[in-house]
Amino acid sequence: MAQETMIELNRISKHYGRKIALSSLSFVINKGEHVAVIGPSGAGKTSMLNILASMLPADDGEILVDGKPLDSYCDRKSRAQKIGMVRQQFDLVPQLAVIHNVLAGRLSDWSLWKSVLSLLIPQDKGRAIEALDRVGLSDKVFERTSSLSGGEQQRVALARLLVQDPEIILADEPVASLDPARAEDILKMLTRIAAEENQTLVASLHSVDYALKYFSRVIALKDGKLFFDRPVSEVSDTLLAELYSLEGNSQK
Amino acid sequence: MRKMNFVTLSMMLFFLLFIGSWYFVIVAENASLSELFTEKNASHAAEFFKGLIGVGEDNNAFLSKTSWKQALGLTRETLQMSMMAIGFSTIVMFLTVIPAARNVADGTLTLSQKWHSWLSYGLIRASYVVSRAIPELVWAMIVIFIFKPGILPGAIALALHNFGILGKLCAEAIEDSDSRPVRNLAAAGASKTQILLYGVLPAVLPQFLTYILYRWEVIMRTTIVVGMVGAGGLGQQFKLNMSFFHYTEVSLLLVCYLILVFIADFISERSRSFVK
Amino acid sequence: MMNFELHKRKILTFILLLAFVWSLLPVDWDKGLLHAGGLAMAGQIFEAALHPDFSPDMIMLALESAWITLAYATAGMSLALVLAFFLGLLASGILAPGNKSRRWLKRIFRGVLSFMRAIHELVWALIFVASFGLTPYAAIFALAIPYGGMLGRIFAEMLEDVPAEPIQALKMTGASAWQCIFYGYLPIVRAGIISYSMYRFECSVRSSAIMSFIGLGGLGYQIQLSLDDLAYSQMWTFLFFLILLVVIIDGWSTLLRRRLGS
Ligand SMILES: Nc1ncnc2c1ncn2[C@@H]1O[C@H](COP(=O)(O)OP(=O)(O)O)[C@@H](O)[C@H]1O
Ligand SMILES: [Mg+2]
Repeated sequence: MAQETMIELNRISKHYGRKIALSSLSFVINKGEHVAVIGPSGAGKTSMLNILASMLPADDGEILVDGKPLDSYCDRKSRAQKIGMVRQQFDLVPQLAVIHNVLAGRLSDWSLWKSVLSLLIPQDKGRAIEALDRVGLSDKVFERTSSLSGGEQQRVALARLLVQDPEIILADEPVASLDPARAEDILKMLTRIAAEENQTLVASLHSVDYALKYFSRVIALKDGKLFFDRPVSEVSDTLLAELYSLEGNSQK
Repeated sequence: MRKMNFVTLSMMLFFLLFIGSWYFVIVAENASLSELFTEKNASHAAEFFKGLIGVGEDNNAFLSKTSWKQALGLTRETLQMSMMAIGFSTIVMFLTVIPAARNVADGTLTLSQKWHSWLSYGLIRASYVVSRAIPELVWAMIVIFIFKPGILPGAIALALHNFGILGKLCAEAIEDSDSRPVRNLAAAGASKTQILLYGVLPAVLPQFLTYILYRWEVIMRTTIVVGMVGAGGLGQQFKLNMSFFHYTEVSLLLVCYLILVFIADFISERSRSFVK
Repeated sequence: MMNFELHKRKILTFILLLAFVWSLLPVDWDKGLLHAGGLAMAGQIFEAALHPDFSPDMIMLALESAWITLAYATAGMSLALVLAFFLGLLASGILAPGNKSRRWLKRIFRGVLSFMRAIHELVWALIFVASFGLTPYAAIFALAIPYGGMLGRIFAEMLEDVPAEPIQALKMTGASAWQCIFYGYLPIVRAGIISYSMYRFECSVRSSAIMSFIGLGGLGYQIQLSLDDLAYSQMWTFLFFLILLVVIIDGWSTLLRRRLGS
């Protein structure tokens, strides 16, 4: 089966002052793949995802998304159609009603006038309600977002992604602040949605168990370098032990 | 849900007030905005601003040594007026603030309740409300009936308005203070005065200092206003020059006033971060 | 060094005490501070507080004056809010594209805001009256400028304190700068802004009352008239109405603040 390349990183580097966060990182991700990015904290996972989301400029190297350089998605609309992101639960505006946080996924399509009007009379309401239904929150449409639990807020973020409907979903530790049951719930939902919508998913995770359970491929980073990149079936305990070990090529 | 309702209701009420006010200004007072920008007014305004910067004035105050000398003297007086005012308000605040705290009145802080606590609480709080609600300028109009002109009546008027504000703020600081150290002291057998001295004051004094500096800043800005009714300082001279159309003198005084206000802002901000 | 840290507060208190003592020097304490009969006058004035003039005519006049005062205050505040919105937005720097332009934007508009509030509303009023005559707009603009400056500064500070994550997330959904303002910044600062504006609204009522000094009607004007007539019990009628007005707005704003939970 011919595989289309969706994301291609070519020798990406990033440093903050003297501190090297990513050094010459390269890999290719195909369309529809579900990739988990793991590694000890400080390995550069967040930096890499932020660079992919073009929230952070890379110092060096080149990124191709769907065959075109990342910079070519400069206008907000085409970028929003291509790439969406979820992070920890602080991504939502707590003071808004749930539906407005979900409809924020439509902002790239809306004029300013329509988006302000929507705060008074929700526009495209059907779509928001359908998305909330799919994440199991159809009874909380008009609730204030801050009154929801952490897991529910993360589901609202997923509903926003559903409404935005990008081709690539980047997730930076989407379950870091949730208890295990909630975390599995969210990951199940995230991977199911990505599969149903035929989206490419790249998620950084704190826990190896989740990576092995819900993803097909694992990219491991350590000290800003690629440590390994292989299908889940080929990830061994010794490799993992080495990945998270403290000694070895630790930072200076 | 009820929570939201009151907020919405308030917004609606403010909106009604807003409509009513502008209706009143435009229709009942018959004040037309377009009449404001007539040619006559424009030339009038231009004259005034030209006067302020000294175009076409024979004796420019900025070039006159006596004007500068007078302005600087008044600036010093104004500075002194503001300090005296905050000093008086602080004294009155300290004399009244402890019985004015709710947790002192109901005995939770001092662990002793007397029948007159609520009485003094009520009386002092009422005096705070009266003090706060009456603007400095009105206090000044009353005070100059009683005191001889100078910076003293100005300072008293400013203090009369500010002790209420300061008192309210500081009483609230006491109300918000942690009552655990007090309970420990009380358990150790401390007297009421000892409790206040060692348990309450150390905890709230830094907050008091912040409030005092903040009010001093506000007082500085208001000194010019009490001066206008004859209570000394830059304001008095400002009003005088305004009515004699000595516009460069006016702008000289304004410059001095602005410098004072900015210095007060700066000092107060600096000292607040100094003790933080 | 540690010692110095500990004594900072004492040092500052001592300096402030010295400043207070210095401020007392120019007053001639020996020569009598009161007018001849000043004490008797004070007695009369405060005695009159016990029997204010509550005749029906007086009450009607006081109600009317209170309304004028409130109307000017509301009109001034509404303009101030508009000014504060735009200037505060600019002074917060959130609309700036780059870091350098942001620094400049902040510096310039912070300067503008602090100039607006440095000058007292009554001074603004005198300036406006001198330049376009005695109209209610002189009072309204005079209120709007310094209050716009105060509200604008707080608004800018609140906008700057908005956490970065929700805004970044909105940008990721493709929101424009103005969409971020309506969907992120404004909802987040809304409660704080309402509380602070209500507090300032109370102050603006007092400020509006003293606009009488430039010759406009309202409670301050009536207070001035009764003082000129030495009609102290009438003066207290108007003072009590002013106090009532302030207390009502204060109560309203306290309730609102509690409901907004801030
Ligand atoms: N804004 C920043 N300034 C300086 N150093 C940073 C910044 N962000 C991240 N770093 C550093 O870069 C390295 C990679 O960080 P990050 O990408 O957040 O790793 P991870 O998400 O895997 O924990 C870390 O050592 C971190 O300290
Ligand atoms: Mg991270």
